[in-house]
Amino acid sequence: MFSKLLILLFLPLVSCLGLLTAGKKATIWAGWIASLVSFLGLGISLYFLQSSLHSPHLFSIEWFQLKEKSFTLSLQTDNLTLVMLVLVHFVALLVQVFSISYLHDDEGRWRYFAFLGLFVFSMLLIVLAGSLFLMYVGWELVGLSSYLLIGFWYHKPRAVWAAKKAFILNRIGDAGFLMGILLLIWLTGTSELSLLIPQFSAPTSSISDPQLTLIGLLLFCGAIGKSAQFPLSAWLPDAMEGPTPVSALIHAATMVAAGIFLVARIYFLLTPDALTVIAIIGAITMVMGAYRAIFQTDIKKLLAYSTVSQLGLMVLGMGVGAREASLFHLVTHAFFKAGLFLSAGVVIHAVHSQDMRQMGNLRHSMKTTFVAYTLCAAALAGLPFFSGFLSKDAILVEVFAWASQRGGIAYVLPIVVLFSAGLTAFYITKQWRLVFLPRPASEKAVHESHIHDADTLMKVPLVILSGLSFFVWFSWNPLDAAQGWVFRLFPTNFSHEWHVIVVICSTIAATTGISLGYICTFNHNIPPFVQQLGVVHESIKKTYEQGWNKVKHHFQVLREHDPETEHYLFLISPLQRIGTWLYHFDSKIVDMTVNGFAYLTVIAAHIVGRFDRMVVDGVVNGAAWLVQFVGSRTRNLQNGQAQSYFVVVLVGIIVVILWVLH
Amino acid sequence: MKIPYLLSFFVFHPIVGVIAILAISNRYKHTYKWINLFFTVCQVLVSGVLYALYDASSSSFQFVEKADWITLSLGNLGTVSIDYLLGIDGISFGLVLLTSVVMFIGAISSWNIDKREKAYFSLYLLLTTSITGCFIALDFFLFFLFFEFMLLPMYFLIGLWGGPRREYASIKFFLYTLVGSLLILIVMIGLYLSVIDPVESQLTQSMVHTFDLRYMTNMQNYLPDSILSLSGEIYLLGMPSRMLAFWLLFIGFAIKLPIVPLHTWLPDAHVEAPTPVSVVLAGILLKIGGYGLLRIAYPIFPDAANEYAFTLAILGGISIIYGGFNALAQNDLKKMIAYSSVSHMGFVVLGIASLTSEGINGAIYQMVSHGILSAMLFLVVGVLYDRTHNRLIDNYRGLIAPMPLYAVLTGVAFFASLGLPGFSGFVGELFTLMGGFKSAVLPTWVAALGTIGIILAAAYFLWTLQRMFLGKLWAKNQEDLVVLYDLDTREKWMLIPLGLLAFLIGILPNSLFQLSDKTVSQLLKVFE
Repeated sequence: MFSKLLILLFLPLVSCLGLLTAGKKATIWAGWIASLVSFLGLGISLYFLQSSLHSPHLFSIEWFQLKEKSFTLSLQTDNLTLVMLVLVHFVALLVQVFSISYLHDDEGRWRYFAFLGLFVFSMLLIVLAGSLFLMYVGWELVGLSSYLLIGFWYHKPRAVWAAKKAFILNRIGDAGFLMGILLLIWLTGTSELSLLIPQFSAPTSSISDPQLTLIGLLLFCGAIGKSAQFPLSAWLPDAMEGPTPVSALIHAATMVAAGIFLVARIYFLLTPDALTVIAIIGAITMVMGAYRAIFQTDIKKLLAYSTVSQLGLMVLGMGVGAREASLFHLVTHAFFKAGLFLSAGVVIHAVHSQDMRQMGNLRHSMKTTFVAYTLCAAALAGLPFFSGFLSKDAILVEVFAWASQRGGIAYVLPIVVLFSAGLTAFYITKQWRLVFLPRPASEKAVHESHIHDADTLMKVPLVILSGLSFFVWFSWNPLDAAQGWVFRLFPTNFSHEWHVIVVICSTIAATTGISLGYICTFNHNIPPFVQQLGVVHESIKKTYEQGWNKVKHHFQVLREHDPETEHYLFLISPLQRIGTWLYHFDSKIVDMTVNGFAYLTVIAAHIVGRFDRMVVDGVVNGAAWLVQFVGSRTRNLQNGQAQSYFVVVLVGIIVVILWVLH
Repeated sequence: MKIPYLLSFFVFHPIVGVIAILAISNRYKHTYKWINLFFTVCQVLVSGVLYALYDASSSSFQFVEKADWITLSLGNLGTVSIDYLLGIDGISFGLVLLTSVVMFIGAISSWNIDKREKAYFSLYLLLTTSITGCFIALDFFLFFLFFEFMLLPMYFLIGLWGGPRREYASIKFFLYTLVGSLLILIVMIGLYLSVIDPVESQLTQSMVHTFDLRYMTNMQNYLPDSILSLSGEIYLLGMPSRMLAFWLLFIGFAIKLPIVPLHTWLPDAHVEAPTPVSVVLAGILLKIGGYGLLRIAYPIFPDAANEYAFTLAILGGISIIYGGFNALAQNDLKKMIAYSSVSHMGFVVLGIASLTSEGINGAIYQMVSHGILSAMLFLVVGVLYDRTHNRLIDNYRGLIAPMPLYAVLTGVAFFASLGLPGFSGFVGELFTLMGGFKSAVLPTWVAALGTIGIILAAAYFLWTLQRMFLGKLWAKNQEDLVVLYDLDTREKWMLIPLGLLAFLIGILPNSLFQLSDKTVSQLLKVFE
């Protein structure tokens, strides 16, 4: 099995390297190769799913030894891995098939499919990793492939900017993730999950609770970055600069879900405190994402904010203890959101615009897309009989149960979830009507009337994904997934206490959202009470903007000017400010000190030189002069005359006698 | 298999090249670069032989060559004994291998030197000998000799073949390093006065003072009332003498490394030096600082190393962040990379200061990895500078259009340097940080400082990539657009092997760890 696993893991990497080596020659057949590889991978994954379900395997090899301590690389397969393997390969296959047609006239296809191969490889590494360390490796590599794919059209400055932004914001999360891993290695000596789990299940743990909370939250930082959670969520909407199929695969179905997968993996070490923080972050992300999605006019950006919101819901689910339900939502979301993105891709392909205000009445010209989109949207909105309803319902039940255990303020959480479920239904209906339904006479669509629906290669993935939005694939009971396969794979004590209430509440939320969304799509017939809400929104926006205008000039330095959109964007500038300041410090203070020292030395040298010439040399010259002076004065004494010598001797004798007698 | 005088040959054979270049008349000056290449290739081959013969399971010195060099009897003061002593162990071996590779790449990079070729190539080979000697010498005196001797060729290589401000830069480099070596010299004399050679002293029944580094690490060889004796009772400048000596050594090597705030020679020297010299400077010379700490300061003064671990780690952390921020502020591509070197060498100090197996092995690994990657980065700058004589980041946009392979290899170098798993930079940073977290002598937050560095690295490298290489093609000077052709064969032969090497040791870190592991464990025994 190990060898098959290795084949599974390295197949996409080999195809990536092969395509990169072949270069432009591969342009025509690159997509087929990539799809074939994914198809093979899907086959192997299905084989694994069928053969080794409920029998986890672990394979580890020694990487190297340091001081008799060995560092291992290990791969593991358990139920979660197997489901993710199938999911990743399945969505990747559909997206690659779709891309063959979507990018049929792009010269850089060989690059595109090579990068997709790299992505699949790194995603598989995350899924299969048996240690957090190896997972981090995959984590960084999906970051790289996301960078390459967002910036695929590298001549577009905005795409390159978005790619950089995504990578750096992810890096911030990753730094926390890395710190968490290193702390864990420090405290427990390993990051192998198979060794950690027994350590933590033992009643006597060597790690104190605050430390464990810290580790859990640091590891969760990785998920904050990758799954675009508050406060690092800003990169995901910008990542929509990449090709649309990429958005479907990476920024909706798989990579962004890696954060959820990570939390599920490290669930055993999360303390209640850490879980509460996770739940709160998830809730903030969910509401903010849904709220911002309402105001989007760009078809992809709306979906991106929707993804942010849904990821927030999954994280929230993790936080309240609904690990399995969140994983369930991950799976259903992957299908319907990928379907939505691919439909959006077809629309963009046909209309050559991403602005929804220029679309409208596309349902007749693009029948398949319309139907696919409608089904996926219904799943997202959470209508009964669709997959989204089941998974959202499963999370909600647990949220209610969680709140009832705590009581009081904790009931805010289920209400917030219901509210954002309503918002979700609202924005997706609005989008659906804007794009596909006829416009009122007052608002005219601007796109050309000649619109073609998707060709077969694009249609097949759409049909499959929309088909998977029905409930039957997940559970025979359209209103309750408790008997579905997901909860058989990931057994959990599913609470039924709140089930009826939840079904009623979420159906009400969804229908209210849908009807309001349908009514409010166009400005002229918004009912008064919604207008009042709009007034509230406007006033909040106004106060916000006024406040922002007041403090703007303080923060302007922190923002980076984007020449294309004439907006100020917040990313590198604050860092660069510090950098410039420190460089100033470096060149003006540190370097000046050094140069000052050199300068002082030269001055000192001059002073010493002066001293040397005037004092030292002066002393020497003075001594010479003194000798000469004394010599010239006393020279006369030695004049060679006996009388004068006699006088000197006599004076001398008298002086001696006087001195002796004294 | 034992080959006699292998190390001596390894160190000194480039001197033959120097003589040959000096002897051959200027009329045949096109042969100089071939002679240069031949001797550097020769060195790579010999280092391959060394790699094959090296026994990684032993922690002691290998290929040792010893000969009495200077012996002077000073009557009552004892006997001076300076040995010619060469040997390799795990601390030096990785750097020795690195040296031969980087000097070889530097030799290829020197291909289009077109003024004063005779002087250039003879100095280059002289530099090769002195650097190699520095890593291999086991006698402090001999080490110091090689250490000082590096300055001479380096000074001229920057001062004669450098950019517009080359005189300033070369003087600055020279003075900085000279101050450092002065401090080292002081300690060397102190050690010499304190340490005796137990074997010789036994034989001759007199005090035989020695410069042998192996004896200096053994605390039994210190004279009880000498200036650096272990009693710790002797104070100099208000500090125990051994602590002071450690600081002097540390500052001496920190200038080379360089550690903030002793780093300002580096951006100037790098910016002004010609490409091959920058490659050698960043690739190898900086590592001598880290090597000196591990070879001399740490084993000889373990007490002080233990005591000041926290301070050193803080200095390392400051270097990581300070260098990163400064790199972010640069508009000159070469200066950006010079500051990134400061940041990356900070990891080395952090790793060494941690006094853990992971940290120190990681530091040695990081030095080798940074040697390869910084060589690659400076070559990348050289490619652009050769074509346009301009390397300001703001002057270019979208270089990927005319130079796709160049942009791709730059991307590889950038991503490898910012610590992408799969390349060597990742392993180096990971293990130095792991050491920092694990260390018993450091608080956790110091290592956490280091992780900020990896965010900054992503910021400055990717921002540069975005500004210079991606987007629409544009250059400030229109005439530059004409000369922006893609890499030629020679440039490919420099960049691709370095990229592959960084990849190989990145996925097989054991190739380096197995060399250093045993020696480091031995070194750490003192600290347990």
